[in-house]
Amino acid sequence: MSAPSLTVARATGWARFRALPLSDAGARILAGVAIIVIWEIAVRLWAPAYVAKPTGIALALPRVVANAAFWEAAAVTLGGVLQGLIIALVAGTVVGAAMGRIRLVESLLQVYVNGFFAMPMVAILPLVTLWFGYTGDARLATVVFAAFFSIALNVADGARAVPPEYIEVSRAFRGSAWSRLFEVILPSSVPYLLAGLRLAAGRALIGAIVAEFFAALPGLGYFILFHTRTFRHNEAFVAVAVLALAGVLFEFALARATARLLPWYRRDEKAA
Amino acid sequence: MRARGAAAATYAVSLALGIAVWEAAASRIGPAFLPSFTATATRIYDHALSGVLASALQSSMLLFFTGLTFAIVAGVAIGLVLARARHLRVALEPYIMVLYATPMVALIPFILSMLGFGFTAKALTVFLFAVFPILYNTIEGARSLKPEMLEVAQSFRSGEWGIWRDVLIPYTLPFVMTGIRLGIGRGLVGMVAAEFFLSGSGLGLLIFRSGQDFDVPGLYGGIIVIAIVGVVLMGLGRAVENRVAAWRGLER
Repeated sequence: MSAPSLTVARATGWARFRALPLSDAGARILAGVAIIVIWEIAVRLWAPAYVAKPTGIALALPRVVANAAFWEAAAVTLGGVLQGLIIALVAGTVVGAAMGRIRLVESLLQVYVNGFFAMPMVAILPLVTLWFGYTGDARLATVVFAAFFSIALNVADGARAVPPEYIEVSRAFRGSAWSRLFEVILPSSVPYLLAGLRLAAGRALIGAIVAEFFAALPGLGYFILFHTRTFRHNEAFVAVAVLALAGVLFEFALARATARLLPWYRRDEKAA
Repeated sequence: MRARGAAAATYAVSLALGIAVWEAAASRIGPAFLPSFTATATRIYDHALSGVLASALQSSMLLFFTGLTFAIVAGVAIGLVLARARHLRVALEPYIMVLYATPMVALIPFILSMLGFGFTAKALTVFLFAVFPILYNTIEGARSLKPEMLEVAQSFRSGEWGIWRDVLIPYTLPFVMTGIRLGIGRGLVGMVAAEFFLSGSGLGLLIFRSGQDFDVPGLYGGIIVIAIVGVVLMGLGRAVENRVAAWRGLER
């Protein structure tokens, strides 16, 4: 085979590739395959044998899936996250609505809610273990702390932004304060609530994992810690994938809920 | 001016009430779980006087800004390139979204056993926490650039560099600022997590050690200091973002 013919073949190949009507899905699949191949090659060439690589993860997957302890860990962690999110959602909505509608409450609490929101929540771990011991309650408290403030802040914004005309109509029809809260203020704050919940969910997952790292609580975080320490990165990575999946699924569920509850509301407008 | 005075007064009253509640609660709960505010403030003052606080703060900030700087450079650069390379962007977007939704803390044990617990490992942690919001917002911003604007630039025979300098970068900047503000918040979490779980240093170590030693006032003091650091850095990010956003508002 002569060199010139090779370059010609390559050129036409490249031109053909350029001209290829590459669909979006095709491009994505191609990129996914490329990422996996590059990852595998890079680890094989430059990293120690224990480092996670796609083939290793694929081999470890059946082992991990068959392991009852893994599912227990996943249930404990994700259950804790869900429970904490529900507590934070209820408490955050109450506090946020009060802050958004009552001037006095807002001026008293704003410094604290803003301050705790801006604070890196990992820092409270030693305090949480002091109060709750090395128990599941410590994880729950961390999750609630991580999630509460973003929900309260967003609901407060939403309650503040209720158009005054709505309130006036409610008053004109002699609606009670309760009906105003449940039929006007809260429904019109729902977009803000969902934005806050979206932020809170990510923070809650982080909170649960760091609590498990810090207090050595059984759960996915500890599963990762244990397996990386014993140089079984492939197994540990399966747990990371489950956590990522949980994060993505929650995003999906929220997007669906938004489309369902607020068909007029475009989520990407508030993506920031 | 008067509004600002009133706001300051409200803050002062709110803080004073908070301290009063704290003191009352502390006297009922006891110093093992909740030391009095005075004890905590005294402890912060001691730390400030002995230089412990300053050196912890310095070490933490060096770590934080190293990680953040790399995150800004990488996030903005990759984001802008992806904005101009449509195929590449479409192909990589879902993976970036997945990484954005992945709790990065879960990777800390991997970093520990691959890179050890030096400064690089810790800066990498801060970087990983901060880079995805920046990257994501840069892509979103660059994508929302109207094709007409690019067409105008092209019909004036603007080169690729000209498009970047006059259209792409100025247009995307406000979105980048939003990403940086979010990145600051996440990067701080990464900073403390690295200082807790990789190797003790800075403010994280100060808090961690206080907890280990049952120095409860020191523990509360450290947490207050880190909360103040968070408020200041987030406030800074927000101020810059608002400045740029105001300019974007004028442009439209």
